[in-house]
Amino acid sequence: MTEQTHSGATGAKHEVHLSKRDVSTAAWRWAFFCLASQNYERMMGTPFCHSLSGSLEKLYEGDKEGLSRALQRNMTFFNTEPQLGAIIPGICLALEEEKANDPSFDDEIIQSTKNALMGPFAGIGDSILVGTINPILLSIGIGLSAGGNPLGPIVFLALWCGIVIPLKYFLFVKGYDLGADAVKLLTNVELKDKITTALTIVGLIVIGGVAATTISAPIAFTYTSGDMVINLQEILDKIMPNLVPLVIALVSYLLVSKKGWSANKLIVAILIFAAVMVVTGIM
Amino acid sequence: MELWQAALIGLFAYLGRNQVPWLCGTTGGWYGIGRPLVAGLICGVILGDVTAGVLCGVAVQAIFIGQITPGGAVPSDLNLAAYIGIPLAIVAGGSSEMAVALAIPVGALGVALHNFTMTFNAIWPHRADKCAAAGDARGIRVANLCGQLIEFAERFFIVTLACYLGSGFAEGLFAALPQVVIDWLAIGGKMLPALGFAILLNQIVQEKWMIALFVLGWVLVSSFSLTTTSLVFIALAFALIYVMARYNGNGTQAASALEAAAIYEDEDGNYEER
Repeated sequence: MTEQTHSGATGAKHEVHLSKRDVSTAAWRWAFFCLASQNYERMMGTPFCHSLSGSLEKLYEGDKEGLSRALQRNMTFFNTEPQLGAIIPGICLALEEEKANDPSFDDEIIQSTKNALMGPFAGIGDSILVGTINPILLSIGIGLSAGGNPLGPIVFLALWCGIVIPLKYFLFVKGYDLGADAVKLLTNVELKDKITTALTIVGLIVIGGVAATTISAPIAFTYTSGDMVINLQEILDKIMPNLVPLVIALVSYLLVSKKGWSANKLIVAILIFAAVMVVTGIM
Repeated sequence: MELWQAALIGLFAYLGRNQVPWLCGTTGGWYGIGRPLVAGLICGVILGDVTAGVLCGVAVQAIFIGQITPGGAVPSDLNLAAYIGIPLAIVAGGSSEMAVALAIPVGALGVALHNFTMTFNAIWPHRADKCAAAGDARGIRVANLCGQLIEFAERFFIVTLACYLGSGFAEGLFAALPQVVIDWLAIGGKMLPALGFAILLNQIVQEKWMIALFVLGWVLVSSFSLTTTSLVFIALAFALIYVMARYNGNGTQAASALEAAAIYEDEDGNYEER
């Protein structure tokens, strides 16, 4: 995006650099407080400023006016997926450090970097992290919970936190290290495609398996004629175990994807279907 | 349900709310203990029936498994649904169908509550703006934390009161229901997870053929009684084979040439996808 100028600041009054500890503090502040006062007006605007505030205090020590301007420009609207998007405040922190040491650095660059990245990261974060990895781990957890086994929720929580907490810290620090260069790295389309495709395939197979054990539709209907008793469920099981629930799952999917049904509409439809099945004695 | 049990459930509900920072932000909170699967275990431990808690958690989780919260907008507040629906179902007899029947309407009501809090919290950035103008960095951190006052008041008190006052109501309700309604809830509860999986599939299926992978997982588990963990390894193998076949090997040069053509760098060095 921009060529970094490490030359500036030679004639500047003060040259301040952030220590590892400063960056680490900012990263943890983002990790913990990224949503603390989220609201419909500014979304994650205040948390963004909260995360960088400690470092800004150091960069503008003794320069109240500079600090005030820096804080104000980081209070703008910000909204992304905060876990994968942790890289954005990291990048902006590097840019702020540069700005503090080079008065000719245009603060528009900081603003536009932030604004340009929040949308794409919201998309990637929502689809990969919370839309795919979280459900996969939940599916594994549900699978381990058979019969009320507490291992399921515990394994889910351990895997999820074990993966995502280090990841968001790492991304923030990586964003700071790379600064504006991170923007170029992030346009690596092939890597993103590979990860997304692999996760989608793992996700779909695992979710299919867990859905098979979670959705059920037991058929109670039997046909009796003299000595002959026909049990519909037994016949269906001979064709393929779990056939009826699979049909229900696929029909539900088609209604959502092709007909654009909302969740609430589908809930009502399933409950009506269940009522009909119970009243007619089929289930 | 004793008052201390209701209060403890209310506290965990607050800790698992979307904006609450104390468990490493949204990771340990909303996406961690806020998930109905984990909420089921927590409520089960508090109420002394772990098995029923986990089973209720699984049932409620399955319905909400496909739910993400883009831009802070929740289609259904699954935290409220889990932390009110599951404990009331455990107290009323412990069936997972009851948990589902209670969780769905509570989740829908929770959306209004969530919107109220998200709107009300808009007072804090204005306070933070004043601190920023005065160069007061600490003031901004305090203003950010102040959002928690409203979040705590909203979640802790509502969940505690609903659990404490609602337990007698839930017991009476389920005792008074006629058998046909209980059968209906039981069958409906067994089929409702189809909803969660339908929404999840709609979200992650990229190309139409991929629905076959869902059917594959389904058939493997139904026919061979695999555990989920062994299914994960089978799925990993499929994913590796597919990704290697598609992105490496013979296709590499053609594919990377295509990639190169798809990215276009303009004079300013901005990368754009065509």
